[in-house]
Amino acid sequence: MSISRRNFLKASALTAAAAVIGVEPLTNSKVLAAAIQEGVVWHKTVCRLCGVGCGVMLGVKDGKPFGIKGDKENTINKGILCVKGFYLHRMMTAKNRLLHPLVRKDGKLVKASWDEAMNIVTSKFKDIIQKDGPDALAFYGSGQGQTEETYLANRLFKGYIGTNNVEGNPRLCMASAVGGYISSFGADEPIGTYQDIEHCNLFLIIGSNTAEAHPVVFDRLVQRKKDSPSCKIIFIDPRKTPTNRIVDLHLQVKPGYDLAIMHAIARQLIKDGYTDEQFIKDSVNFSNGKDPITYDDYKAFLEKYTPEYAAEQAGIQPGDIIKAARMFGESPTAMSMWCMGVNQRVSGVFLNNLIHNLHLLTGKLGKPGCDSFSLTGQPNACGGVREGGALSHLLPGHRVVANEQHRKVIAEIWKTSPDKIQPKPGKHTVAMFEAATKGEIKGMYILCTNPAQSLPNLNKYLPGMKDTFLVVAESFHPTETSKIADVVLPVSFWGEKEGVYGCTERRSQHLAKAVNPSGESRWDGEVLVDLAKRLGYSKGFEHFKSPEDIWNEYLKTTAGTDMDLSGATYDRLKKVRGLVWPVPTTDHPGTWHRFTSGDPYFPKDKAGNRRMYFYVKPDGKAVIFARPDKGPEEPVSAEYPVALTTGRILEQWHTMTMTGQIPELNRAAPVPYVEINPEDAKSWGIKNRDKVKVTTKRGSLVIEAKVIDRTRKGTVMIPWHWPESLTNILTIDAVDPGSFEPEYKVAACKVEKA
Amino acid sequence: MKVKIYSILCIAVALTFLLGFSHSNKYPSSSIIKGDKHPDVDWTVSCTDCHMDVTPEIVKSWNESRHGAVNFGCYICHGDGEEVFYSKGTDQRCSGCHAGQEVNFEKTKLNSCFDCHDGHSLKFHI
Repeated sequence: MSISRRNFLKASALTAAAAVIGVEPLTNSKVLAAAIQEGVVWHKTVCRLCGVGCGVMLGVKDGKPFGIKGDKENTINKGILCVKGFYLHRMMTAKNRLLHPLVRKDGKLVKASWDEAMNIVTSKFKDIIQKDGPDALAFYGSGQGQTEETYLANRLFKGYIGTNNVEGNPRLCMASAVGGYISSFGADEPIGTYQDIEHCNLFLIIGSNTAEAHPVVFDRLVQRKKDSPSCKIIFIDPRKTPTNRIVDLHLQVKPGYDLAIMHAIARQLIKDGYTDEQFIKDSVNFSNGKDPITYDDYKAFLEKYTPEYAAEQAGIQPGDIIKAARMFGESPTAMSMWCMGVNQRVSGVFLNNLIHNLHLLTGKLGKPGCDSFSLTGQPNACGGVREGGALSHLLPGHRVVANEQHRKVIAEIWKTSPDKIQPKPGKHTVAMFEAATKGEIKGMYILCTNPAQSLPNLNKYLPGMKDTFLVVAESFHPTETSKIADVVLPVSFWGEKEGVYGCTERRSQHLAKAVNPSGESRWDGEVLVDLAKRLGYSKGFEHFKSPEDIWNEYLKTTAGTDMDLSGATYDRLKKVRGLVWPVPTTDHPGTWHRFTSGDPYFPKDKAGNRRMYFYVKPDGKAVIFARPDKGPEEPVSAEYPVALTTGRILEQWHTMTMTGQIPELNRAAPVPYVEINPEDAKSWGIKNRDKVKVTTKRGSLVIEAKVIDRTRKGTVMIPWHWPESLTNILTIDAVDPGSFEPEYKVAACKVEKA
Repeated sequence: MKVKIYSILCIAVALTFLLGFSHSNKYPSSSIIKGDKHPDVDWTVSCTDCHMDVTPEIVKSWNESRHGAVNFGCYICHGDGEEVFYSKGTDQRCSGCHAGQEVNFEKTKLNSCFDCHDGHSLKFHI
């Protein structure tokens, strides 16, 4: 939807325009303002950065980005933007935009034509398939690609080339949340939506620096506390962060030792009588992770987890655990929120389960103000990769490659043979890059992501990436990955292409194409169709002429599933501010709470009097897990006595490819740093801004010390954004055995003055 | 005396434009028009880290404001300081984020968001 504001002289548009052209406040000059306003067209789109899904209006004048502002009609952000989204339009024209293809010749990347670059890719991929088979190829995508792009790549690699080596960076951030949702509730993604925030009086935030990583959600929490003075927030995190400003109770745990706390809270909820026994009877099963157990077995299992035991594990006060349990139990509503601090752990799936346990025990689920609500890191991790099935074991529409019927359904939609889709899952991300180091994977197509900076234990994987035939489809160059690529394909950026993003709350939203692609860049979808045709799969791909063609086919894969998007047609999405699935028909408004009577797939006949029926489980019951607590893979030791955790800052996003181009954002934290607790700094003889050397078993980094009361004593934190200071040289590549997500959040290190 | 004053004024105006156009390729901004320039400082230090020492009252006022609560820093209104700087924060950018609080100044006696909202505390003072 394009909104012409020719006659709209309100200050918003004027000021946004001014921000771009940089003149004196236009409100002082009404004639000038009116003149400048002429011809500006505002396009409805969605923010390109984190997973919150904020609506954005992108202003265009004379075919060029002109200004930006929050979309006040969007229900998520209601016109608010964070500091990163605020500069999106300037990222479109950043100096590091890649405007033409590059190919490696004599060791150097040089300018090439599209035809030359695509010929090289095609010839090399054909050669690899012929000599080493399809599993010697891999696709590595992103939670930032649009659904249509990711869907096409998934379709090409799994359905035509015939390899399940299809992964994406959500494996590094959200895979544990997926594992948690599927094992506890039977299906991925939250039961409620952001709408629950305004009904909730008790928030449990664990492993999330919401204020910096999801600022607009944080702003909604600030507003909620303002509107409801009785609203309380419990915070479980190893650091004091800007999130603490609205926190009522902080359990500042040792990194990696919070599982016992969750069990202890569950134990206390039962002891204090805060459980919803009818809900448990109606809608909950119990399991030890292998076999079913009874409620009594579960209670017996929890006996070990006294507040004292859990407090000792986590290095906190037992009284705080009791207090947290009572706050959770006493409030009629409760909403949990978490992110990387929970997911990027070797026990990530278990910890997700333990959060869900609290909601299942108390029945605080599936009603206003109650949800176990995972925050997402990327704008389309949920939509493109999780829903689109673009991980090595998945197929679109919450299907899996291991299921014969699922392969059959998808093969028919993909117009390919069911035998072409392999039944065995491909390699997960870390295994994929490990295979590259061993020479088993010989060619890789990387779309819209930067693994040469974002993988853990980088020193182990960089040599393999350099040896692999690497094709990188990117809007920006150089990145750490494009620098070592064999072919770099310039692709259109946000605002230069049309598509759909699916955000944290199951909401799919349309992104408008507002300007033409920069330079010679092309839409990823066009590039993938071109590659498919060159590889000999014309018949399977030639009918895709537009993003809408791809979306329409994708909708067929969701029809009749728990994530039915059939009613979310392009025509409709262009008009509304997104739709929350399941949305089975074009007159369906979308679904607030899944598995309840408001869910179009709620089986009233089977459910009877049950308030919730988890229809994706055979008996409609969710699962409470009794799994023992577990510490980090690499505990501190005599040689490496300090816990290292990694994190994010408000002003930067991921590997700084985009936000690093904005001088204002760089000013907020101009140099890479490590946060050190003042007491530690004193005992280590380190002063603020000293250079220090941080060493783990995997490598060393010399970095500036930021002495600040944020981490607990014995813990340091390094933000992972800066390409000139690769934090992931230090991180460990041990993965959760269920989700295969690496433990970026905990490692053992030593710190010394450099 | 009058000639002297006019001469100084002319030089000042000329300098203002000179300073302005020297940066005009990147940011033909209000800072240029007004000739604002941030003192040359150690740019490896963030705004707030430095201003906590230099202008502690202002940082305190900001820190206690809604912007401070959500950590929206100095650069939003003042620029990065080095490439672009507005010594007096402009309200050009307010509605980039606050599109829901639009004001048609033509229908008011006001010219700026800051006519009602104090610059750092953001408190509504009329």
